[in-house]
Amino acid sequence: MRDEEREGAEPPDLELVQRGRTGDESALGALAKRHHAAAYRVALSLVRRDDLAQDVVQDAFLKAFRALGGFRADASFRTWLLTITANEARGALRRLGRRKETALEDVGEVATEELDPAQAAVVAEEAGRARMMLERLPEKQRLSVSLRIEEGLSFKEIGEVIGSSEGAARVNYFHGIRRLRELME
Amino acid sequence: MSDTTCGTVRELIPDFIGSRLAEEAVETVERHLAECGECRAELELAQMIFASRARAPEGLLDRVTRVTAESRRAPSRTWWGVSAAAVAALALGIGISSERAEMTVDVPGFAYEAEEGDVWSSDDGLIAGAPLFDGLSDESLLQLLDELSVGSPGGAA
Repeated sequence: MRDEEREGAEPPDLELVQRGRTGDESALGALAKRHHAAAYRVALSLVRRDDLAQDVVQDAFLKAFRALGGFRADASFRTWLLTITANEARGALRRLGRRKETALEDVGEVATEELDPAQAAVVAEEAGRARMMLERLPEKQRLSVSLRIEEGLSFKEIGEVIGSSEGAARVNYFHGIRRLRELME
Repeated sequence: MSDTTCGTVRELIPDFIGSRLAEEAVETVERHLAECGECRAELELAQMIFASRARAPEGLLDRVTRVTAESRRAPSRTWWGVSAAAVAALALGIGISSERAEMTVDVPGFAYEAEEGDVWSSDDGLIAGAPLFDGLSDESLLQLLDELSVGSPGGAA
């Protein structure tokens, strides 16, 4: 289950959006708390720099909250926000005049709390290698894999974020997975 | 061997990892995984990706909350303020259309409609071996999925 995005008994996004439209700051704060980490991962996957990714997330939330009145709930708030984030990230890269960094600066720590130290070291090393290989995939394959596995988005939602059809998102995902398995061998 | 196909299980692996599957589906996936090394390998890969996902930096949530709150509290420009700006711009020979364009919030409804060709300026096509799938028909995409040993959603592997 999503960690910080776990809803449980919390109000659903749509209710928070409706309250946010009326200026309910606690509702907007709850939306930010629930989705900022996913937005950060999408931004980081594209801009590959922590400081720039944080700027992108801030700008994406600013835009999303300003445009909340126009959100028609054709898709989930989460997909809408991640689409805005991806476009903000690409805009940031264009403004910088570059498309790629040579390496991702900040890869998250690997969750190995439940393992003994020896196992944890092996898992962390392998997971770190998988992450490095993931970063070598073409952009759409990389995002399709990340959005499906890390954020749990459907292929339809992934297609909306990356600007592709559902079918193309599915092919990007499975092509990326196959390529990753080849790279890991 | 269980009746469930590899294609079906591989579709479900991300939801299996994320605990988003109903109990019955979990049992189906577990039965298949017990018998299929290929799908177990894919599960392990997905688990590694999930485990190494980036965490949001400390302070990011506070920053987002603070900046968006400040933005809402900022006084909106009054009519005389706009008029003064327009007069000043005209006096300087500057059109105000460009300023207005920058101030526009370009997020209407769901679709984030950027200019044509601007929505995804991916350079995937510049990467050797990076395929582009967007222009393909559904039939071609299904054929590709078959070649990737996935098959159509829920269908044969």
